[in-house]
Amino acid sequence: MTKPTAILTARDTSVSGRAPQRHRLLVGLLAGVAALAVAVLLSLFVGANPIAPDDVRAALLGTGSDEADFVVWDQRVPRTVAALAVGAALGVAGALMQAFTRNPLADPGILGVNAGAGFAVAVGLAFLGVRAPGDIAWLACGGALVVTLVVYAIGSGGREQSSTARLTVTGVAFGAVLAGLTTGIAITHPDAFDRMRGWNAGSLLERDLGVVVPVLPFLAVGLVLAAASARSLNAIALGPDVARAQGVSVTRSRILVLAAVTLLAGGATAIAGPIAFVGLVVPHLVRWSVGSDQRRILGGSVLVGCVLVLCSDVVGRIAVLPGEMPVGLVTAFVGAPVLIALARRRTASGL
Amino acid sequence: MPLPLAHRRRLVAVAALSIAALGLSACSSSSASTPSDTATSATHVMEHAHGETSIPDAPKRVVVLEPVQLDTTVALGITPVGAAVLNETAGVPTYLGEEAADIPTVGTVAEPNVQLIAAAKPDLIIGTESRHSALYDQLSEIAPTVFMATQTDPWRDNVQFVAEALGDPDGADELLDAYDARCAEIAKEHDTAGKTAQLIRPRDGVLTLYGPTSFAGSTLECAGFTTPEHAWEDISLDLSPERVLEAKADQVFVTSVDPDDTSTLPASLTANTDAFPELHLVDQSFWITGVGPLGGMAVLDDLDRLLSDGS
Repeated sequence: MTKPTAILTARDTSVSGRAPQRHRLLVGLLAGVAALAVAVLLSLFVGANPIAPDDVRAALLGTGSDEADFVVWDQRVPRTVAALAVGAALGVAGALMQAFTRNPLADPGILGVNAGAGFAVAVGLAFLGVRAPGDIAWLACGGALVVTLVVYAIGSGGREQSSTARLTVTGVAFGAVLAGLTTGIAITHPDAFDRMRGWNAGSLLERDLGVVVPVLPFLAVGLVLAAASARSLNAIALGPDVARAQGVSVTRSRILVLAAVTLLAGGATAIAGPIAFVGLVVPHLVRWSVGSDQRRILGGSVLVGCVLVLCSDVVGRIAVLPGEMPVGLVTAFVGAPVLIALARRRTASGL
Repeated sequence: MPLPLAHRRRLVAVAALSIAALGLSACSSSSASTPSDTATSATHVMEHAHGETSIPDAPKRVVVLEPVQLDTTVALGITPVGAAVLNETAGVPTYLGEEAADIPTVGTVAEPNVQLIAAAKPDLIIGTESRHSALYDQLSEIAPTVFMATQTDPWRDNVQFVAEALGDPDGADELLDAYDARCAEIAKEHDTAGKTAQLIRPRDGVLTLYGPTSFAGSTLECAGFTTPEHAWEDISLDLSPERVLEAKADQVFVTSVDPDDTSTLPASLTANTDAFPELHLVDQSFWITGVGPLGGMAVLDDLDRLLSDGS
């Protein structure tokens, strides 16, 4: 199991030498942690309500006014927690999908996870009378899980070599069908459409801890599975045949990755609704700075995913005062130019 | 090649089912029909947002494509033979009464079904230029069609337009006079002068405040309340829940699909009940979408009840 890393490390070493590589990693790690700390502080101190930083500090220390307490503890703290959970989950899910499909344009939505969650939410809103954000979260999680299982059942048959492509095609096809059905429900049930609109844009508003905390165990398991699959993903990066020759079970790592992506993307979607571009852009940013070792990429994706979602949410809070813009819209605005810039760098998308 | 046949069969079955489902939903059209000949009586020319049209003086079979048109037509004592509704599952709003409940729906306000409208054999169709402009030619082949300009115009003007199209302009004045009288009654009974009131519609996590030019906002003002000052964007204003305290007023009304269920109150309001001593959940089916004289009366009755409970 150590061979593939050895090969990759050797390749890295030949380019930059081992000591500078370590040095660069450490700098990257420190920069990532610092950026995360700044993003968390921004998320606590900046929002639609222009209360003074001193009042926010007082509220954090437990001596704030009623209004500051409400803004900080009822609004900003839960949103910050939700943004951290969603950002980490989407970043890692995106990195896993890109490594697994060896396709730099893959994102978690490719397995139909978002479409499944969206369809389940539409059915719940239109036919089952579901209304509470907490119940919507469970529907989204369940829908994501069922669709991934169905996609896996249909797409995983046949010869092993072709099955990554088959899974992808099945997922995309299934996602398209479900998205169509969801649109059909939305058009014939304007009430459901009205309530779905907020969820569909991807928003962290009204996501109190009661919505976020129940999903955290799913995300934690997903992150553990992702970490467990990192080594075999390094081998798969060299092609399934090489991976098998090195003793990596492709089937086993495939199940690990799919389970992790479902839990992470499904959980994130359950909390915030579908948030575009995070899963796509984050792994590119990370690969560009840490190279091609999946263990580093996955770790970096946690940090960068959190920073991207936190900062996007902060921008959304002050973009259309006195209202708010859903974070999903902001990530689309931020993500698209970043993706274009990365695509223009020839080396950035290498997998 | 292990398994491919079984897989293919499964896929074919899935595809066949999907196609069957699509086919079923597409087959609900009804036979085309010619314009009705019942309107043989006198006609006159009416000027409207899409031009000039010759319409019957006393139309009997009316199709309406907008909530304010449905409300006004029913209020004037004419039961439409077809109405486009906001929500086909919910159908005609219940506040319009039992007789209105049997009015056949002809698609949604956003997408009226031309075939269903033709099947209703109308002698007059009333629509809205801003929404149904593209359908005008098709509709005018079915029956004389008049369009009001937009649904965002002051609703009293739209009531007057509909009454004119129905050949009953005095009826509109009577309805609006009755509405104003009810307003004055409530203003006197509850001594609303000098007090503020705010209608909030929770939507997508933000709070939409309705201003004095909105339907419900104008009804609150008609009943003597003043609306707190805000930088209104057209009829309303979106407010972040962080700034919920800016929505404060002496009386605050929050719309809900189920006003009896207090969990439909947004968390930002329940966390600040001290700042909102007079907080009422109200039915959005008439407070928001019940535009028209009957909806206005329903809002005023509800307002009367809520203010009586509170005091």
